[in-house]
Amino acid sequence: MSETILNIENLKTHFDTWAGVVTAVDGVSFDVKKGETLGLVGESGSGKTVTALSVLGIVPRPGKIMDGKIIYKGKDLISMSEKEMQKIRGAEIALIFQDPSTSLNPVFSIKSQLGDVIGRHQKISKEDAMENVENLLDLVGIPDAKLRMNEYPHQFSGGMKQRVAIARALSCKPALLFADEPTTNLDVTIQAQILDLMRDLKSKFDMSVVLITHNMGIIAEMADRVTVLYAGRVCETSDMHDLFFHATHPYTVALINAIPRLGKVKHELQVIPGNIPNLIEPPSGCRFHPRCKYATSICKKDVPELEEVEKGHVTACLRWKEIEADLKKERERIV
Amino acid sequence: MTEKEQIADEKKGKTTKPMGQWGIAWKRFKQNRVALVGLFVEGAILFIAIFAPFIAPYPPNDISAFMAGRTREPPSWDHLMGTDYTGHDVFSQVIYGAATAIKVGFGATLVSMTIAILVGSVAGYYGGKVDTILMRFSEIFLVMPTFLFLIVFLKVFLTIRVAGFGIGIVIIVLGIIGWAGDARAIRAEFIKLKEFEFVTAARCLGASSRRIIFKHLLPNVLHLVIVLTTAGIATNIIIEAGLSFLGFSDPNIITWGRMIAYSMEVIRGAWWQSAFPGIAIIITVLGFNLLGDGLRDALDPRLRE
Repeated sequence: MSETILNIENLKTHFDTWAGVVTAVDGVSFDVKKGETLGLVGESGSGKTVTALSVLGIVPRPGKIMDGKIIYKGKDLISMSEKEMQKIRGAEIALIFQDPSTSLNPVFSIKSQLGDVIGRHQKISKEDAMENVENLLDLVGIPDAKLRMNEYPHQFSGGMKQRVAIARALSCKPALLFADEPTTNLDVTIQAQILDLMRDLKSKFDMSVVLITHNMGIIAEMADRVTVLYAGRVCETSDMHDLFFHATHPYTVALINAIPRLGKVKHELQVIPGNIPNLIEPPSGCRFHPRCKYATSICKKDVPELEEVEKGHVTACLRWKEIEADLKKERERIV
Repeated sequence: MTEKEQIADEKKGKTTKPMGQWGIAWKRFKQNRVALVGLFVEGAILFIAIFAPFIAPYPPNDISAFMAGRTREPPSWDHLMGTDYTGHDVFSQVIYGAATAIKVGFGATLVSMTIAILVGSVAGYYGGKVDTILMRFSEIFLVMPTFLFLIVFLKVFLTIRVAGFGIGIVIIVLGIIGWAGDARAIRAEFIKLKEFEFVTAARCLGASSRRIIFKHLLPNVLHLVIVLTTAGIATNIIIEAGLSFLGFSDPNIITWGRMIAYSMEVIRGAWWQSAFPGIAIIITVLGFNLLGDGLRDALDPRLRE
């Protein structure tokens, strides 16, 4: 786990709407190493999905990448032409979506949807492609793959559709997989199955996974390292264990404390007061300061840079050293 | 097939072939008797149009009846629909008229649908400025008094006698004028569809915009295209009949509209001359409308059980 496969530096993706410029992603930096699972956590609207779409170069209009670097295997994806990007998408970097019911084209059979992707990126015969499809469906745990690949998306259940979507994303053996809340629309037992499957396939295909979610439970189960986003900026990046036990950013601590816990009698559900800010006019300084109980006047003024806490652990809080003890107390009160 | 039967089949090792959306649509279509009538009528008319020279008892401009002095005869066994004042067999003429009607109906709709699909899909998919420009352009065609424009256009071609003027010109002019409404319907469908995640998924997997429009999205609006096409064919047949009734058509080609026009003066004495081509127009257009309604019901995903 050493080689860096994707390196995002100071990525800024803005949406120029009639109401003003929405700074959906505003200076996000993180990297993904070969073979690891990076969790990308944050509330709705924190820029998780837009980051993924930026990497793939498919930010919907009126969104635009304003600044930054996205280095994939030494090549800058932002400066690539559309033609070159089309070769990368699907073959090198793939994406799994949140809602399997709309991510498959309703008018094509499973066979033709998967075969289409394989045929586009690999020069193989139709029979070989069909065999690949069958093997893939087998791999993601679809029984009777040979028969069921002739069926259409509406004949599959939600969990099955997500398996098919995963099979499609993996069809060209990508090196990097973005999974955008892959289990949010599934029920809990299916969630567990899909997560198991993803972990299994990750090692089989030797790929890196960026797991986008707002569910800390999934992070705890799946991720090697975690990047916490808030309002389009990185709060904290560290390995998973450190994040849960030595978080240094007040937002991360608040997020962890908001996880409902079993077995605690008369324990009130913790919430983070307030809402995620309007990204057209984001708060000055640290974007979390209006909701942060440790905020002081300096937080309103200065934009925090990512500071190294220890090796592989960075945080974007101006006062992390001063409040370290308080945060520790807060963590212990809960856990 | 009930669930129990299905399970029983599976146990026996029988496999039920999965049914695609066309299979489902056909199943629904079959249950609709009126639609089946429409399909049968159109099938028959298409057959008559294609094999007109073999079905018609007399050649198109045969005037043997005139030589025999049998003009303006009421229907008889020799002339099933009678003869007109120059001795043409009305039955044969109606059959050759079917060929013209089908050619114009299908041809003009092919032209207008091609334009409508191109304009509608591009405008709907790309949106923004492309959409604005294309839609303002389509509005030019929507506000234009279609029939008047057609008459002027055809009058010019008739007067300057363009070489080879035939139904080709009628087909092209009808097609060029009739696409705007259909383009807007297709555009609306594209605007809805492009927001679906499978479009983003296709882009993520390396598909180009052109590929997404024609390979991924167009099959999704095919049901709409089919319904619009049947309606378009019916409309174009009526317009063509109207034009040739007014005299704007190639005089060397037999059309139902002109048959009616020529026999207007003798409608009291020789009703068969105008009645039969009139009935032919009604049956053809009605058939296409029934077919179109049936197809719409069968293909509408919202009505799917």
